[in-house]
Amino acid sequence: MKLYETTIIYDPSLEETRINEEIDKVTQPITAAGGEVLDVQRWGKKKLAYIIRKRRDGTYVHVKHKSPPTLIAEMDRRFRLNESVLRHLSIIAPKDDPRPEVPPGEGGESDAMGTPAPAVVQD
Amino acid sequence: MAREGESRSFRRKFCKLCLDKVERIDYKDDRRLARFITDRGKIVPRRISGTCARHQSQITEAVKRARILALLPFTTDQYR
Repeated sequence: MKLYETTIIYDPSLEETRINEEIDKVTQPITAAGGEVLDVQRWGKKKLAYIIRKRRDGTYVHVKHKSPPTLIAEMDRRFRLNESVLRHLSIIAPKDDPRPEVPPGEGGESDAMGTPAPAVVQD
Repeated sequence: MAREGESRSFRRKFCKLCLDKVERIDYKDDRRLARFITDRGKIVPRRISGTCARHQSQITEAVKRARILALLPFTTDQYR
């Protein structure tokens, strides 16, 4: 069992109930395989930095889970087949994370880490 | 940079992330990462930003992950 973070971008036209169904489709195999779903974060609809499949927005869902490594390959396969998934990314989560997690905002909020760098890097 | 004959004051570059005592750079933190890419979407090299090796490699990994999740652009060309 390893600790993973999976982020999925769904089609923005999906309704809330459909999103819930899709999340169930992710979490159920995890528990079925003896894993554990630790956290499900819904970041909501966000603007994409570039157009994916003619969509400018996406509905982001972030799942923290403990899973056997073999399941990640299976998850990946299912996401690829799923038409409502625009993008997905699974990574092995960093081991110790003392900082509180802040989902990325769309600007306007204060700096996510609360400690802004003293100077802006020139472009 | 200052060339011979020119009078220009040098200021030593420093790693801004070390100054802030940042332990780990998160790929989800797109606003922090946005400081380390150019307006074209390129990752700013260490020689420009002054970032230390440890943090630069973290930035590189985080930016690449953020690009996959469309939190940061690969390039801005498509809008021109």
